[in-house]
Amino acid sequence: MTDQLATRPAEHRSLRQLWAPLGRGLMLAAPGIIMLCGWQYASGRLIRESYVSKPTDIAKRLYELFATGEIWPSLAVTGKELVLSYVIGVTLGLLLGYALGRAPRAARIVEPYVMAFYGIPKIALAPLFVIWFGIGIWSKVMLAGTMVFFLVFYNVYAGVRSIDREVVNLAMVLGANERQLGRHIYLPAAAPFLLLGMRMAIPYAVIGVIVGEFTSSIAGLGLFINYASSTYDPASVFAGIFILLAFVMVMNALATRLERRLLRWRPSMQGVPPEAS
Amino acid sequence: MTDHDTQSALSFRAIRQSFPGLAGEPPLPVLNDISFEVPRGKFVSVIGPSGCGKSTLLQMAAGLLKQTAGQVFHNGILVSDVNRTIGFVPQQAQLLPWKTMIENVEFPLLLRGVKAAERRARAQQAVDKVDLTGFEGHYPYQLSGGMQKRASIARMLVYKPDTILMDEPFGALDAQTRMVMQHDLQTMLAAEGASVLFVTHDITEAVMLSDSVVVMSRRPARILAEVPIDLPRPRDMFEPHAIPGFAEAYDRVWSVFRSELKVRRAA
Ligand SMILES: Nc1ncnc2c1ncn2[C@@H]1O[C@H](COP(=O)(O)OP(=O)(O)OP(=O)(O)O)[C@@H](O)[C@H]1O
Ligand SMILES: [Mg+2]
Repeated sequence: MTDQLATRPAEHRSLRQLWAPLGRGLMLAAPGIIMLCGWQYASGRLIRESYVSKPTDIAKRLYELFATGEIWPSLAVTGKELVLSYVIGVTLGLLLGYALGRAPRAARIVEPYVMAFYGIPKIALAPLFVIWFGIGIWSKVMLAGTMVFFLVFYNVYAGVRSIDREVVNLAMVLGANERQLGRHIYLPAAAPFLLLGMRMAIPYAVIGVIVGEFTSSIAGLGLFINYASSTYDPASVFAGIFILLAFVMVMNALATRLERRLLRWRPSMQGVPPEAS
Repeated sequence: MTDHDTQSALSFRAIRQSFPGLAGEPPLPVLNDISFEVPRGKFVSVIGPSGCGKSTLLQMAAGLLKQTAGQVFHNGILVSDVNRTIGFVPQQAQLLPWKTMIENVEFPLLLRGVKAAERRARAQQAVDKVDLTGFEGHYPYQLSGGMQKRASIARMLVYKPDTILMDEPFGALDAQTRMVMQHDLQTMLAAEGASVLFVTHDITEAVMLSDSVVVMSRRPARILAEVPIDLPRPRDMFEPHAIPGFAEAYDRVWSVFRSELKVRRAA
């Protein structure tokens, strides 16, 4: 394959290289496009349109929502809740996971309690959070933030705990003090775990915020979806869902870029040759 | 304060070590009354069968393992905590995977607060010395085992410790590179006068590099003999057999070693 390429004239090669990413993009989009086409066909023929709407209607509705600016206030509220809950959850999870990871004695006492709280289905707490933090954004931030926190906390904690004792020992012989051990050994060793936790937490942040808004709220995308479904407007429901989907995909792409940057040192990060991916 | 304390870089006194056995089994005795000295500026090798406790001795000198009984002194000071003033090349290279090769080499200087420009310059020198020029930006997983080992040596050389512990540093290298590294080590030591405690399996290497070879028995290990090697320096690492007296020195070490093999065969 490579040999063939090498013997070809240069312009063919560059043309191929130009087409390659486009081809890959098509491959990636194909299943989605097939699904949308299937949906479009089935709607009104196999399934009642009032149940599932159809892609063209949803696209039209999406266009309307943005063109008229109708969606912006909801988006702004939900966006603020998502960002706040994610940032707060990740920060606290990182801090506490790291601190407890470095203090095994304290961890032995605290861990069972954290585990117990972790086991509580947070969704079930949604009504309580409304009572505690009000009907505004903070009940949603706290609900989603708690979910994000636990995921990041557990991953960072496990990461710090999993570090090879020999590496720490050697760093100490080379002259590292406690602070330097943290900066140069524990944090980088926990980075892959942190990033895993951050990635896992993205959909949970969305779930937490939307469930919070469903439970009771005065604004937001969850309220918009809830209202649309109670007025039998499936196109709007799906439009709202597609906006959430886009948000998760963008966040995921950002997380991937962060991973590429921070985990350059890991063989698995560049093991896949460009043709195969 | 005894004579030993002021003369020796390292001093092992009546060291015993046993490790807790698996559940229900008795503890495993590894070292049984080990005493020897590494005089200042001298090169002492330790050879002995695999698993006899050579790495364990180095761990004690680095302050990473508390011996069951006995004492280790470094420059006359009792080693009771992590020893941050000693150079250590562990048996596994143990580079930090998240740092590039040259960042690994720079690491001890970074920890000592050396400024970036000087750090880079000194690290580069050490990298050149172990012949890794051109691989500065590689991460450890992109280096071969032997290259990792050489980087680990450079990381030790870079901060010029006065006492050096090396655990089979040349084990993973091919014969040619090995001789070059032995030659460079000898040259460097002649210039800097560091004291070295060196672990190896290779009798030729031990004889060629050392002022004295400590031969250990199988577990629980005792010292079978301390063989002084007084071949003139510098020694030509590429032609061991051309050195007058090499064969005799080799035989003295080998005869002690062989006695241990006989015991094993009989058992
Ligand atoms: N932390 C530990 N816990 C239990 N046993 C240990 C521990 N460290 C070493 N040992 C045991 O002590 C013995 C000596 O180990 P050591 O690593 O010092 O051997 P060595 O002489 O360096 O061998 P080699 O030449 O193969 O490297 C071995 O039998 C090993 O199983
Ligand atoms: Mg060993």
